[in-house]
Amino acid sequence: MKKKMNFCVVLVSALFVFGFAVLGVLTPDKKISESERRPLAVFPNLTAEKVVDGSFTADFEKYTLDHFPLRDSFRRIKALVSRYVFGQKDNNDLYCTDGHLSKLDYPGNLESVKRATDRFRDVIKKYADKDRKVFFSIIPDKNFYLASKNGYPSIDYESFFSYAVDSMNEAEYIDITDLLDISCYYRTDSHWRQDKIIGVAERVAQRLGVVLDTDFTESELTDSFFGVFAGQSALPVKPDTLSIFENSSTKNSIVYDRETDSEIPVYDLEKVSGQDLYEVFLSGPKSLLKIKNPENPAGKKLVIFRDSFASSLAPLLISGFSEITLVDIRYISPMILDRFVDFSGQDILFLYSAGVLNNSVTIK
Amino acid sequence: MVFSSVPFLFCFLPVVLAVYFAVPKKLKNTVLLLSSLFFYGWGEPKYLLLMLFSITQGYVFGLLIERTREKRRSKIFLTASVAVSLVLLGYCKYADFFIGNFNALTGLSIPLLKVALPIGISFYTFQIISYTIDVYRRDAPAQRNYVNLALYISMFPQLIAGPIVRYSDIAVQLENRTHSLEKAATGIRRFAIGLSKKVLVANVLAELVSAFKQSHEQSVLFFWLYAAACTLQIYFDFSGYSDMAIGLGSIFGFRFSENFNYPYTSSSITEFWRRWHISLGSWFRDYLYIPLGGNRVSKLRWFLNIFIVWFATGIWHGAAWNFVLWGLIYAVLLVIEKLWLLKGLKKLRVLNHVYTMLFVVIGFVIFDADTVGSSFATLKAMFGFGGVPAVSGEAVYYLKSYAVILILAAIGSTQLVRKLCKLVSEKKGGSAVLLVAEPAVVVLLLAVCTAFLVDGSFNPFLYFRF
Repeated sequence: MKKKMNFCVVLVSALFVFGFAVLGVLTPDKKISESERRPLAVFPNLTAEKVVDGSFTADFEKYTLDHFPLRDSFRRIKALVSRYVFGQKDNNDLYCTDGHLSKLDYPGNLESVKRATDRFRDVIKKYADKDRKVFFSIIPDKNFYLASKNGYPSIDYESFFSYAVDSMNEAEYIDITDLLDISCYYRTDSHWRQDKIIGVAERVAQRLGVVLDTDFTESELTDSFFGVFAGQSALPVKPDTLSIFENSSTKNSIVYDRETDSEIPVYDLEKVSGQDLYEVFLSGPKSLLKIKNPENPAGKKLVIFRDSFASSLAPLLISGFSEITLVDIRYISPMILDRFVDFSGQDILFLYSAGVLNNSVTIK
Repeated sequence: MVFSSVPFLFCFLPVVLAVYFAVPKKLKNTVLLLSSLFFYGWGEPKYLLLMLFSITQGYVFGLLIERTREKRRSKIFLTASVAVSLVLLGYCKYADFFIGNFNALTGLSIPLLKVALPIGISFYTFQIISYTIDVYRRDAPAQRNYVNLALYISMFPQLIAGPIVRYSDIAVQLENRTHSLEKAATGIRRFAIGLSKKVLVANVLAELVSAFKQSHEQSVLFFWLYAAACTLQIYFDFSGYSDMAIGLGSIFGFRFSENFNYPYTSSSITEFWRRWHISLGSWFRDYLYIPLGGNRVSKLRWFLNIFIVWFATGIWHGAAWNFVLWGLIYAVLLVIEKLWLLKGLKKLRVLNHVYTMLFVVIGFVIFDADTVGSSFATLKAMFGFGGVPAVSGEAVYYLKSYAVILILAAIGSTQLVRKLCKLVSEKKGGSAVLLVAEPAVVVLLLAVCTAFLVDGSFNPFLYFRF
């Protein structure tokens, strides 16, 4: 009996270790991890210098981790064991509660807020038309509605928001927190749902003194939208639906992308088959976009300094303006903007999520 | 390279096992030695030469000690070998500590040498010293085969973090050992348990310790959570490594001595140190305490011997005053126990465990601190004198998030699981259950550990640098 047991232990262990070793060699390398949306490590160059300074071994470690056979399945096992066996409330800072996935982001980093608002104020000082208005709005992240209520550590949002607003006293603040709740966000992604932010668009329009055409038609593009948190958390979750709202302005507007010096659609439907479906809205991360609305040539002009949340809001706003310029100063230095944007006669809106303000190191 | 890494488990180990068991017996030690040198050189190739130099001096002096036996020169060669070993260890590990303290005392500003500590130097230095002393004492003959001696010192299962293998315990096995299915299965079981202790418990608790250190919202509860997590982490980290070392040794036909014996079930500090890092404790007993005279001297000299041994134990763990303090606290407690407390402690059934664990926890808080000052600040806060609130939201969150793993770790540090397994095996049909369950549990543990490794980041052992 004992001999049989020993044989079984040796056999299954050897199969496991040797099996995955062989599988690791035979499995072709992938370039990217679709679930984590990141490039995977490549096999490091073997040089004497790299061996001596230890960087080869460190890079090789990363390579073996990134290309381990059935990697996503193992990540899922880890996530499930952490959650259901160890009862851990988060896995790599990602947590699941009230049917939503979110990422812990605390404590509030007021230095980061100051860094961001200092940049914004530099922009105002350098570019703002004295005859036009400057607005500022903060988009609450999912933790605003989820974290504290469910016992997760949370930013003290009251002081965070008031600090940010006080730091931007050159701008009129547009409070949108009362228009949103957790259902306004995708369950598996960090972003808000376009179909739930018509009220936000209307309030912004009202404060900017324009009237929107809210005669939208909703089109569901997919019911299989796995947001950024779905892949990162590795937990089995139900996908979201992703819809777009269209009216004649969104259909007729022309979007100019400065990076590629080309026109792009308001809704890039090719992205539905891509990795990040949220990129449907204005084709994802772009440093500088100009949306021209031929249906309202005499309308106001607006420059939005923004993060990715504005990609789904801008299409809802376009009917009220003749032109909206979207600037993401995480990808373009604000100091060279006058080469591309004429700020005269334009209102400015700083529209940033709390998450970006709390981690503003990416803002140039 | 560390055991709890994908390159070790799925690249290095399969290749070494395949080659080791494929080659004839006379080549097995050579294969194991080359593997060990590769294992060591993988992390820090530049220190390979230093280790080889240490091995060579031990080899040469070992032969000279044996050849000049009966003569005064034998003692000179032993002294020279020990001195060379200690000078190398002192230079690599303690030079900056002494320069820093010398500067502080004299007001001078001699620049620090900033020597990086070679991995495992404290362990292999002690093994070389053990070898030359054993040869001098005639506990073992000098090893004429360089490969065998180099293998004893550099054998990868125990090279990095012990257990400290005594030459006299392993001399015969180096030249003549057997391999069997039973040894392999025993080794695999032990390795899987050790890997799980490290990856599933110690690494997870390390995240709690790290969260505490980064927190801006500290409280008495959070300090105690940290202290508990740190105490359990150190045990599971270090004993996990020892389990893996003993397991790997068994697969390769060696029998390494035990390094831990459920130390957190001890009812006195004296008992704790009989159960904690046994190989280091016995090394200091046999190669320092007894040569100093042990307890067969005057009471004053006995106290001095104890303090010397515990000063050495403390500073062996790290070149900083908090390690010295950690060692000396145990010296004081052991003297108090030996003189007055030990008999009384035996009568207290629960309080003796509370007393022991309280000082063990305090000890590891000092051990884990950056400085003596910060360890005092932590201890003050733990006992409510740190000016922090009793409870904070963050502490409650982490308590909820880590409660299960802390409870599992606490249970795992006792003999409960072992007793349960024994109970099952003794029941009718229990053996049949174990026949199915054991291979399943082993492969399940390997799979879950792999999942944690694949998802996690690189996490070296705490004892890696000692």
